[in-house]
This record gives sequence, C-alpha cells and structure tokens, in this order.
Amino acid sequence: MTARLLKACALVFVLLLALGGAAAQDSVQTVPYLQTSGFNVPVLAGWDNQSTDAIAQFYSAEYKATIRAQIVALEDPPAAARTVLASWLDIETGPPVYNGKVNLADGTWHVLAFDINAATTASVMARRHGQGSVVISFVEAAPEARTMLLTLAQTDDALNTAAPEIDLALDPFAGVELAQLDDAGNIDMPSGQWQVYERPRLRALGMVFGNDSYIALQEGELGNLAALADAYNRTLLGFFVTPDNSLYLALGLAAAFAVLGLLVLSFFWRSRGIQQELALIETLTSDEE
Amino acid sequence: MPRLLRALTIATVLGFAATLYLGLFAAGTDIQQGAVQRIFYIHMPAFFGAFTAFGLSLFGGIMVLAGKSADWDKLALAGVEVGLAFALINLLTGAIWARPIWNTWWTWDPRLTSAAIMCLTYAAYLMLRAGFDDTERRRTFMSVYSILGFVTVLITLFIIRIVPETIHPVIVGASPQNAQGSFEATSGVMLALAPSLLLWLTLMPITLMWHRYRLEDRLESLNRAKLKALSE
Repeated sequence: MTARLLKACALVFVLLLALGGAAAQDSVQTVPYLQTSGFNVPVLAGWDNQSTDAIAQFYSAEYKATIRAQIVALEDPPAAARTVLASWLDIETGPPVYNGKVNLADGTWHVLAFDINAATTASVMARRHGQGSVVISFVEAAPEARTMLLTLAQTDDALNTAAPEIDLALDPFAGVELAQLDDAGNIDMPSGQWQVYERPRLRALGMVFGNDSYIALQEGELGNLAALADAYNRTLLGFFVTPDNSLYLALGLAAAFAVLGLLVLSFFWRSRGIQQELALIETLTSDEE
Repeated sequence: MPRLLRALTIATVLGFAATLYLGLFAAGTDIQQGAVQRIFYIHMPAFFGAFTAFGLSLFGGIMVLAGKSADWDKLALAGVEVGLAFALINLLTGAIWARPIWNTWWTWDPRLTSAAIMCLTYAAYLMLRAGFDDTERRRTFMSVYSILGFVTVLITLFIIRIVPETIHPVIVGASPQNAQGSFEATSGVMLALAPSLLLWLTLMPITLMWHRYRLEDRLESLNRAKLKALSE
C-alpha cells in the first residue's frame, strides 16, 4: 500500500514536470537579452556578438562601430571611462569634446565624448555601481566621419523636442548652431521617433525619452546615423544590473521553515504532553487499585 | 500511526524537498528581480495550501451543522490551525519579497489587507474556541464561524480581479495596470510552480491536518480518561 502510494506520488510529480514543459509553449517571446555575470543588455540584432563573460560587446562591420558595456573596479566613473578606452583601444585619451552629467532612472551618469584620433571617435556613459563603475561605450573607427552620441537632461521638460539639447551639443562638436541646419523631419526607429536636422556633411538626431534628450551627431561622409543612435540608445535604456537580494530569499525561506517547524514541533510537544498525562492517570489509577 | 499517514508523511517530506530543489535550483534566476523572486515558489502555493485547509474547515463546519458526527468539528479545527500556519507563511514571505521589490515591507494594498484580515479572522477562531466550556455550543458556534470565515478567503482570492487599484501582481493572467513586480510564467517558472502548487494544495494540508486531527482525538481520549478517573 505504502509503496504503491509513493509510486503514485512520484508519477504525479513526473506528469507535472511534463505539464510545466508544455505550459512553456504559451510563454511570451521577449527581446533576447545577454546575461553576463554582472549585468544584462539587450542583444543587438544585426550586430556581431563579441561578448565574453564580463563584457557585453557588439560590433557592426557595416558601420565600423562597436558598442561595449562592462563593469570596472574603479569608483570614479570618468576615470573608469578613460581606463576602459585606454585598455580597449590601447591609447591615452585627450581632453573630452563633451563632458557632462545626466540623471537617469538608475542613477547619475557621466557623459563623455572623445576624438581619439583622425579615424576614431568614442562616446561613453559611466555611473557608480557598488565599489566600481558601469561603463557603456560607443566607438566608431570610420576615417570618413566623426560620430558623437550623447544624453542630456532637457533644459525645459515641458517641451517634447530635443532641439534645445541638439543646439547645446552641436557647439562643442562642430562649432555651429542648430539654426544653421535644416529640419529634415522625423525618422521612426525601434527605440522611438528621432528628429533629424542636417546640412551638407553634418547631421544631428534627437529623441526625447522621459526628461532627457538622446542626441546623435555626425560630421563628414554621412552614414546611417539613425541605426547607430538607435542601437546605442537601446543598449543604454535596456541595460540593468540584476540585484543581489539573496539575503531576502534566505530570510523568506527561514520564515517559512520557522512557521512550519513551529507547527510540527507544537504537534510533537502537545502529543508528548498528552502521553505523559495519560501515563500519569494510569499510574494514579493503578496505585489506587 | 496508520500506514497510510506514514506514507503520506514520507511523500510530503520528499515532495517538499523536491519542490524546494526545483524552485531554488532548477528554475532560472529572474534577471530583473534577482534571487528573491524564488520566494514566489513558496508564497503563492502557501496561499493555496491555506485555501485547501480553510476549505476543509468550512466543509467540517457544514457537516457539524448538518447533524453529522461531531468528529467533523475536529476536521474544522485541524483545517483552521494548518490553514493559519500556511496563511502566515504566505503573508511573511510576501512581505519579505516586497522589501527589495516594492521598497517596503508592507502597504495597505487591497490584496495585502484582505490577507491580513483573513489571518486575523482565523486567529480569532482559535481564541474564541478556547473560550467555550459547553462542547455542544462550541461545536455549533465554531461551525458557523468557520463557514462565515471562509468569506475572507474568497475575498482574498478574488480581490485583485475585482479591485483594479492594486500593485499586487497576477502571474497567471494579465496583471492589473498598477502591478509592480510582475514576471512572465515562462517554462522555468511553470516547471517549479506546478509541482509546488500541487504539493501545497493537496499533500501538505492533508498530511498536516491528519496529524492535527489525531492529536485532537488523543486529547479527547485524555479528557475522557480524566473524567473516568475523577468519577472513580
């Protein structure tokens, strides 16, 4: 009887495991994510995935561009950004073309852009994370163009346009004002709708998300700036660190075990008490007899 | 101990170990919530375990009022005691999950409030029961109480479907608009959840209630022995 019941229970569990697998067929397909040991980023479709366990890196041969995300053991974000570029490109960075800060939902990010050499430009965002820094960098190695990707807080968050921030970014990048560019309308990308401004050999894109403007600037032989801006933007907004809250899990398990343990122990104690009392009554009765 | 109860106890302990393994190791880590999401594999099944236990208590109450054997009253008591323990596990694990996900241990959300009221209602059952000297009156009163008390279980179960202003997520089906801490019922989640749910719905409440029922039986035997000894 006992063995038969245990076998039946085991069979039910096996059936449930199979049911669990079948239920998976109904699960919703989501954006593919790259999960590293420390953080998560969306996988960029069409880009070559060169990631390792500690670094998320996507390369596009078509755009000669690389997007990389990593966590480095330096508490100063600008220093971490420079360290990443120095070790990656094997070159010392000069003064940044742009240096600013922006508050996003997950913290304060330092925004830096560098002209590394005649062929290479780098745009980096970095923020503190525990005892280190998160660094998300974009490097384009196309000698025919300079590209800069920035995030700026909106000067007026009542406006649904990135134009004021594009104007702010254009000055350090190309020494021009937005008024010198033509409005080329909007372009729809997976990350959202980008406003486009351009003139010969200079293009500027901007998109408002939350209270921030995401800006992309390109000078020289103009390529597909929207695709680069979109890829970098999706990496920035899709990046997140899986929180380490295993202590709360341990606490939850301890609470469940404590309640169940107390219930079972109370059964045991009460049962023992009854047994002792019954034995006492029996002893007293037999003594009287 | 009856052989069937012994078999059930072994199956429950093994099943509990197996579902813990599935929830803690076989299911993947939720990349947004982290390890604390695994509490869900105890939190939700614990509520359904309480549902079974309180449901059996309701059934026991109905049987007592229908004039059936007084033994049904023992079933009702066992259901309340085991159900309350499960409901407490549900409440505690929920609060512990909420701290890192909602950034608070407690909020007066409709689901949380109704679950707390349910716990207090059944805790009051145990306190009230202890206050009766007349056995017959106790059986009748507590049977009515266990039937009425089950309303709080139903309210707790359905409130997030009725009151949309809740932040409590719904895993099976669409979450309310304001829900925080939702996650998808993917294959890994279902793999760990289905056996755990079955265990807490059936084996755990039935086994523990049977043990509690036997305890009450023995307590009655003791009382009878005391009376007999006094009368002699």
